[in-house]
Amino acid sequence: MHLPKFEYLEPGETSEVVSILGKYRGQCSIIAGGTDLLVAMKQRRQTPKYVISLAKVSELKQIREEAGMISIGPLATLEEVVASGPIQKKLPVLAQAAWEVGSPLLRTVATIGGNLCLDTRCRFYNQSEFWRGARPDCFKAGGVICHVTNKENTCYSTFSGDIAPALIALNAQIQLIGDGDERWLPLARFYTGVGRIPNLLAAGDNEVLTEIKVPLPADGTKGLYRKYRFRESIDFPLVGLAAILRVDPDDGICQEACLVFSGVGSRPVQAAEAENKLIGKRLNEDIIAAAAETAAGEVHPVKTDRVNPQFKKKIVKAMVREAFTELGGVKS
Amino acid sequence: MKRLINIVVNGEPHEVAVNPEQTLLEILREELGLTGTKKGCDQGECGACTVLVDGKPVSSCLVLAVSVNGKSIATIEGLSQNGRLHPLQEAFVQHGAIQCGFCTPGMLLAAKYLLENRPLPSEQEIKEAIAGNICRCTGYVKIIEAITAVAHSTAQ
Repeated sequence: MHLPKFEYLEPGETSEVVSILGKYRGQCSIIAGGTDLLVAMKQRRQTPKYVISLAKVSELKQIREEAGMISIGPLATLEEVVASGPIQKKLPVLAQAAWEVGSPLLRTVATIGGNLCLDTRCRFYNQSEFWRGARPDCFKAGGVICHVTNKENTCYSTFSGDIAPALIALNAQIQLIGDGDERWLPLARFYTGVGRIPNLLAAGDNEVLTEIKVPLPADGTKGLYRKYRFRESIDFPLVGLAAILRVDPDDGICQEACLVFSGVGSRPVQAAEAENKLIGKRLNEDIIAAAAETAAGEVHPVKTDRVNPQFKKKIVKAMVREAFTELGGVKS
Repeated sequence: MKRLINIVVNGEPHEVAVNPEQTLLEILREELGLTGTKKGCDQGECGACTVLVDGKPVSSCLVLAVSVNGKSIATIEGLSQNGRLHPLQEAFVQHGAIQCGFCTPGMLLAAKYLLENRPLPSEQEIKEAIAGNICRCTGYVKIIEAITAVAHSTAQ
């Protein structure tokens, strides 16, 4: 499969990126690592006229520790995130999530910002042009019908990033810079939940992701990232779970609990009710089982991959139980 | 529009005129004639196209040629020196770690990167290092044995 023709632009400053995005509005794609975009282009799911490389914008690559924060440039590769001392030490859940993305060959190139901007996926959409040509274009590909649900003007394609659940669980903020303005917002608000246009940058407006800031978790916070997939070595998550837990060391009461899933909706899904079942309690087997049951009720997967949604709910339940049994040190 | 890029491939400098839509894999195979790097899935899943860019393994089918301007690239052709096979290549031959051979260039480069960074890796670390390289003949056991043998013989 050859790539379609395009013009390659290599601006040196964020402001230049923004002005190019404004000039060629709707005809550009930004390339960081390219491991998601180039596949989309080979499959003719995306055929931008201009591809804007961020490789020369050096300010977007740094990982540094500031007062009470870790700041990560979106252009840091996943390998750099995994290997970063401050991230390994202070945000192990993020290092673990980054380690679980793709294969080592992809992590040397793929970036953390690219993983946040990952397009949503569906078994009818993520296919070659030839394969998709057997039926009318689906809604996400520019047609009318959704082949999963057989309904018109809907898209249930699934968000399958590994980094976003970890960063949402860690209360990360992101910076978007546009024409003359910049804004900070919680990462969770970056995702629209709309399968066709899954995040604030997907519509092709002239904004660019420039920084990720993660507040350092309170002392005693534990976290982990779990990923269920077909092939351990490389696949996207069928279900991914970032779990955070902080327990009061004196009385053993859960102070903070956070559960964010990937692979079960068009955006990263936070299971707030399940969190409430844990907060303020002393964790035991029954409480964790109740939270797991609640979490399974809070996710609404659609059959956008080869896995039955009911099976995904079972995986969600099992993952929550395992994760909090491990994090809480609960004997089962 | 074509652009000129300067790259060092296996220690030899090259100036190549490339189109933006050409991948590193395409220029290695089609412009420089280095067909040891294989085209498999062409989507970054199989690892047959693995090369080292500035010492790090990448899937060259997902790297734009224009983006490697000024970088140093190592392919399977550069592994043997002065007609002598690299120790990893010898070990692959001795352990029968080659069946059809299609994954071998990628496996060897992934293994080279591993041993340069972790001279004495555990079996788990070897498995993780070649996780992105699929052997469709499923000859992983012998591949892991060969890499282990090189690690041990270098350590002695």
